[in-house]
Amino acid sequence: MTAISQPRGYVNFYQEKRGLMSWLVTEDHKRIALMYLYAISGFFIVAFCLGLLMRLELIAPGRQLLDPQIYNQVFTLHGVIMIFLFIIPGFPAVFGNFSLPLLIGAPDVAFPKLNLVSWYLYVIGGLLALSTLLFGDGPADTGWTFYAPYSVKTGTNVSIAVLAAFVLGFSSILTGLNFLVTMHRMRAPGMTWFKMPLFPWALYATSWIQVLATPIIGITLMMIIAERTLGIGLFDPALGGDPVLYQHLFWIYSHPAVYIMVLPAMGWVSEVIPVFVKKSIFGYKVIVYSSLAIAFIGYFVWGHHMFTSGMSGEARIIFSILTFLVSIPSAIKVFNWVSTLYKGSIDVKPPFLYALAFIFQFTIGGLTGLVVGALAADIHVHDTYFVVGHFHYVMFGGTGFAFLGAIHFWYSKIWGRNYNLKWANIGFSILFVGFNLVYFPMLVLGMMGMPRRYYDYLPEFTLANQVSTVGSWIMAIGLFIVIVNLIAGRKGPKASSNPWGSVTLDWTHTESPPSLYNFKEIPTVTRGPYDYRDYEDYIKENHKN
Amino acid sequence: MKIKLTFFFLLFLSASFAQQEFTPEESKELLGIYEHLDEYIPDDLVFTNEDGEAVNLVSMIDKPTILVLVYYTCPGICSPLLDGVADVIGKAEIELGKDYQVLTVSFNEKETYDLAKSKKKNYVSQIKREVDESHWHWMVGDSLNIAKLCNSVGFKFKREGDDFIHAATIMVLSPEAKITRYLYGTYFLPFDVKMAIAEAAQGKSGPTINKVLNYCFSYDPEGKKYVFNITKVSATIIITLALGLLLYLIFSKRKKIHHKIV
Repeated sequence: MTAISQPRGYVNFYQEKRGLMSWLVTEDHKRIALMYLYAISGFFIVAFCLGLLMRLELIAPGRQLLDPQIYNQVFTLHGVIMIFLFIIPGFPAVFGNFSLPLLIGAPDVAFPKLNLVSWYLYVIGGLLALSTLLFGDGPADTGWTFYAPYSVKTGTNVSIAVLAAFVLGFSSILTGLNFLVTMHRMRAPGMTWFKMPLFPWALYATSWIQVLATPIIGITLMMIIAERTLGIGLFDPALGGDPVLYQHLFWIYSHPAVYIMVLPAMGWVSEVIPVFVKKSIFGYKVIVYSSLAIAFIGYFVWGHHMFTSGMSGEARIIFSILTFLVSIPSAIKVFNWVSTLYKGSIDVKPPFLYALAFIFQFTIGGLTGLVVGALAADIHVHDTYFVVGHFHYVMFGGTGFAFLGAIHFWYSKIWGRNYNLKWANIGFSILFVGFNLVYFPMLVLGMMGMPRRYYDYLPEFTLANQVSTVGSWIMAIGLFIVIVNLIAGRKGPKASSNPWGSVTLDWTHTESPPSLYNFKEIPTVTRGPYDYRDYEDYIKENHKN
Repeated sequence: MKIKLTFFFLLFLSASFAQQEFTPEESKELLGIYEHLDEYIPDDLVFTNEDGEAVNLVSMIDKPTILVLVYYTCPGICSPLLDGVADVIGKAEIELGKDYQVLTVSFNEKETYDLAKSKKKNYVSQIKREVDESHWHWMVGDSLNIAKLCNSVGFKFKREGDDFIHAATIMVLSPEAKITRYLYGTYFLPFDVKMAIAEAAQGKSGPTINKVLNYCFSYDPEGKKYVFNITKVSATIIITLALGLLLYLIFSKRKKIHHKIV
């Protein structure tokens, strides 16, 4: 679109220093983001394969290739890796790190060394989680929620898995803290709070959740370890503890954590839609407030995970009502995205397709969320495949797709080259079809009453399970095409510095790839982040300077 | 909702009436402690102190009070119990006479105040620090007053010859003679006693440190002791730190960034 050559003598952040050590001790937010990307992608692929394995086991009733105990361990490891190693850190650590300073006109994050520490903590946590595979009775078999008292009694490596989650929690807190200070302190001159793009706003809300909620899970997990090793009765009734207390503590963190997972993805969708519609986002401030509202209300709804735990009737009614409240800001976002499309000059490129898929799949995830958030309906579908379908629609269909979309969106910014658009579209389409084939039948299965977490099922569930398993193969093929296309793109044609014609600072004021400190000089912001009036002139003007 | 609440209220009422109806009948046969928390000591009880003076029990209670029910010629558990009381008076950070007092009452109506006096001398000498011994009262009384007192605190004993079968417990009373805590056994942690006294003192303006302690520790009725309330304390710390960070970020001045721009 606006192909402007890089200035002579330009040194991008890769060329600044070379060699392995230049990565391992780097303080550059972009390099740290890439190290996160590689580590997180590796873990994602491992957990994805575990998911395929589970679907393979469920292709027919009875035992196929996994015995029940192994199946329990596989779904636990799938959950632990996907949740703690992929989806919680994914968006903030990769795209938050890479794009936040670029989007707000800062040379780096506020605490670059702390940023590196978070990466190392992440890697240590990840290795601890994987190390449970190697010794003793193997990985935990408790499910990713580590529900007590079983997690206190099982002989599998729960303590190490829990310690891994604890270390990962610290990584998350430090990243959140870093971003908060960055956004408060390092916005470019002229960038008032309400001129800040929406992806940073989403990260802002997310960071507060990380800082406030993650310590709770840290303390709770330490309590499990104390109970396992020292025999202190906290959760096990035999020792005078209370298992429901564990559920409360766990979900006080883990529900807000759901918003750590999905808010940045929503922020990215808000970021990308105006770019491909060439039009200001509909209701900018309302989207900002809805992000903050989701983060805030999200603290008060944890009880909806515990409707069948024996909590009092009053508590369940209150939690159910609060859960309905949180759906309001989520729905506001969806309506605003759709309204933005109206009368826009829509340019369907791969990142935009992923954003559309997000809206479609998140809407299904959100509406099924109302079913499980409603007290009476939840009693019926609790612990069935309906819940599995629901949260995969939100997490994978929402955040997972947005993650892939974000790679496609910032690809040329990160690597300075472009991938093959045609294959990107093909990969996306297969992935999209496969995804819906895997998870939509789960919603039906749950309604029929198929319980989750079993390696076996009754014969009447066979057909839907087979559709789902075949879908998982299609999804795997789609993902394979997407990944291969992305890797091949590294040798693709050189990209222009602003191929999508965006007007945010990351595209208008930096080269692709950016230099070490991102900007030639810190820009002064005079217009709103999605102001597309005369955008072509604006982009040209800035690249002349 | 209103109907539901009314229903619960009625259920609650019926439960409490049921308790009132059945407890006295059943308790005739039973021994041990039947907690009467939040109930008051009758104000017409008269006992004789170690100096032979007849005093109204409730009129003596003007501060948090530890009530110890024993009999002085007890060959069994009373001695270790009184040892435990003397021990905790010496160890606890609170001060006898200033923060609380101790009332030892014999439930054997045959015992005399002379015996009480000699026992007092004996146990006061065991306290391992300087205390104002006039705030450890040793009482005897007649069978009617004893029965009223023991019933009011749920202390059930049984006479067997010259001796008694009974439990070892201390009770903590508020300055208004309300029963606020039962501590079981013959050995007491100074901390548990301090907490019980601090709780009993509530309603009167106690020192701030006690309020902090009351916030951080809660009584575990199953374990019958005070436990550190880890969830409450950590929640407070986390929220305070996060709020502090927010306020700092909002109100402190922005520093200039001195990054070298290439």
